Amino acid sequence: MKNKLFKIFALFAMASMLLAACGGQVAATQAPEAKVLRVWIQWGDNPQQIQTLFDKYTAETGIKVEVTAPVEDDKILPAMTGSEPPDVLVLSGGDLVKSYYREGLVDDLSGAIQSGGIDLTDFFDAPLQQCKQGDKILCLPWGTDMYALFWNKDMFEAAGLDPNTPPKTMEELAEFADKLTVRGADGNLEQIGFLPDQGWDHSELYVRMFGGFWYSDDGTQLTANSQPMIDSLTWQQQFYTNYNADDVMALSSGWGDAYMSADYPFYTGKMAMYVDGEWMTGPNFISAFKPEASYGVAPFPPPADHPERANTAVVQGTVAVIPAGAKDKDASAKLLAWMMSPEIVAEEFCFNANLPTSKKAAEDPCFTENEKFKVFMDLMASPNAKHIITTPISLEFNDAYGLVFEQVVHTGADPKPLLDELQAEFAPKLEEALK
Amino acid sequence: MQGLRMSESKWVWPPKFPKWGYRKRANFRTGMLFLLPWTIGFLVFTLYPMVTSLIYSFSIYHSRQPLEWVGLQNYADLLKDDLFWQSLSNTVYIVGIGVPLTLLVSFLCAVLLNLKVSGQSIYRVIYFLPSIVPTVASTILWLWILNPQVGILNSILESIGIDGPNWMSNPAWSKPGLILLGMWGTGGTIVIYLSGLQDVPTTLLEAAEIDGANWWQRLWHITIPMVSPITLFNLITGVIAAFQYFTQAYVFSGFQGLGYPLNSTLFYSVYLYQNGFLYLKMGYASAMAWILFIIILICTLLLLKVSARFTYYAG
Repeated sequence: MKNKLFKIFALFAMASMLLAACGGQVAATQAPEAKVLRVWIQWGDNPQQIQTLFDKYTAETGIKVEVTAPVEDDKILPAMTGSEPPDVLVLSGGDLVKSYYREGLVDDLSGAIQSGGIDLTDFFDAPLQQCKQGDKILCLPWGTDMYALFWNKDMFEAAGLDPNTPPKTMEELAEFADKLTVRGADGNLEQIGFLPDQGWDHSELYVRMFGGFWYSDDGTQLTANSQPMIDSLTWQQQFYTNYNADDVMALSSGWGDAYMSADYPFYTGKMAMYVDGEWMTGPNFISAFKPEASYGVAPFPPPADHPERANTAVVQGTVAVIPAGAKDKDASAKLLAWMMSPEIVAEEFCFNANLPTSKKAAEDPCFTENEKFKVFMDLMASPNAKHIITTPISLEFNDAYGLVFEQVVHTGADPKPLLDELQAEFAPKLEEALK
Repeated sequence: MQGLRMSESKWVWPPKFPKWGYRKRANFRTGMLFLLPWTIGFLVFTLYPMVTSLIYSFSIYHSRQPLEWVGLQNYADLLKDDLFWQSLSNTVYIVGIGVPLTLLVSFLCAVLLNLKVSGQSIYRVIYFLPSIVPTVASTILWLWILNPQVGILNSILESIGIDGPNWMSNPAWSKPGLILLGMWGTGGTIVIYLSGLQDVPTTLLEAAEIDGANWWQRLWHITIPMVSPITLFNLITGVIAAFQYFTQAYVFSGFQGLGYPLNSTLFYSVYLYQNGFLYLKMGYASAMAWILFIIILICTLLLLKVSARFTYYAG
């Protein structure tokens, strides 16, 4: 009986193998399937809209495009190292692009730019710079972000400040913040005037305001312990230590993940000023969650002794890459070129209220009809608009800097020795990574 | 494998086929066929990745370029890496404090749930329910419970006159917060303890009662020794799980950055993940994985050895 069972089992196994083999032959003799290109986008507030946008490419070329948005971070690396990476990958930021290039996961796009006929002169300079490494272009910016000061006019009025006049200098901002910080009868903080790291750390903006950055402009040297770095951390520290850091954190950590809700502290009168991006002024954020909010937006103010740094802002945001393992590089290049065309950039970023990276797209009236959004458009055209500098060690350095940031800003530590240690640890790592 | 047993009085390897009859050989083949799916799974999905990760740990791994052999460099670098030691100490905190506390709470819950009271099965379901909530969901729920402004925990503490801490942003309180979260989902351990408690012979308990032993003496001298093998099992599985602590920490600090606040939630597996999948240092991460494997192995062996002193196996 058992022997019979074994034979039946073996027969089934052989039959299924044979069928599988036949199946392969049948598939091989059939006509090849129509080409499908896959685009992965790391963000994606509205996946349906993005798919509809790419359907236009299908209508124009007959090539189907499958969009996956948003793609979870954890899926990107396995896909890039595997045999089936997407044909075009759109990343939320350029932090990892140079690490990916060092690992051979993404292509230098010079060839794709040429074969796709992409006009580099149509790109705003600042967002394009973040993609350059020497004479190589490793990514192309596809829409971008900038940050400015948001203030709650009702809270200004309640504190006796002119609701239409934001602070003119960083020093004045600290004074305003003091007037706007309120404690309740029980001694607990009820509202905060300004939180420098609301949402996430905005050190890149403050360091630029103090005249430097943590890398040299060409990204070859680490300048983590430079004076602008010390000044930036010291300036941010006051917004915690002046009001007892524990009290500030007790209030701010209670806000949880209210960013996309009507409970966001900026709307609920808990935080009078903070730094945020251009998308907040579009239809998907403040207008959606708190349409009646009375607020203003202005370029972040410079230090009093450096008025020439007015309109300084840092450009950072979405970039598109072609994975090294993409099957049909020519098809990827053509799709990339289509994505970068002014019409598509205008359509996508008008809809999502992000800054266009194409100069021709920027002429579309949709980018200038909203006064608050225009603040960011003007910032992008400012001579003081800087690009975020990235290196192959960006992510690791950012995490280590994040710890220093916490120690200094949240616990009142002296920034100098911590930044010295950071410099000593990471300068050799950068040198090694750039070899 | 039955064929092996039938052919000889003891196990023989390699099996001597010529001595076997037709039936025994058929039995052996059938047994092997049944073993095949597991064996293939083990070879492909466990042994192969383990061996390759061991090789990677001695090299700098590039996904699309050849490996660079660096010998023991990754291991030497790890010993000099402050974050490695910090992540290890954070993990040892969970192993050393979280696991015993969770065991204690589970045991006490199991003792209570073993009491013959009306609605006993309802209580058991209530205590078990949290353990079937997905870890990510329960962690997000606990982020709200621990919220210093609107969280229920600090509200309860406040009602009894205690000013609750900043569970999520104070490095001294983030790990205790995570341990609380772990205790909430301890239903599986409670169930195992419950099964152990039901195996404690009532004759012993009754005999002790007749001899005048009170509740505490019966618990201390009979119940606890009788469930000691269960305690050992829960301890070993708890220690292994705690060394691999990841999901809760990942979700807990996800909004602010891994390790927040002040790297107090940077656990070993989180740092390993960070190195392998964010910094693309897969060789370094593989070395970390092997060190963790060895640490867990040593701990388990030590526990098994030490357990002889406190574990009682009836019979």
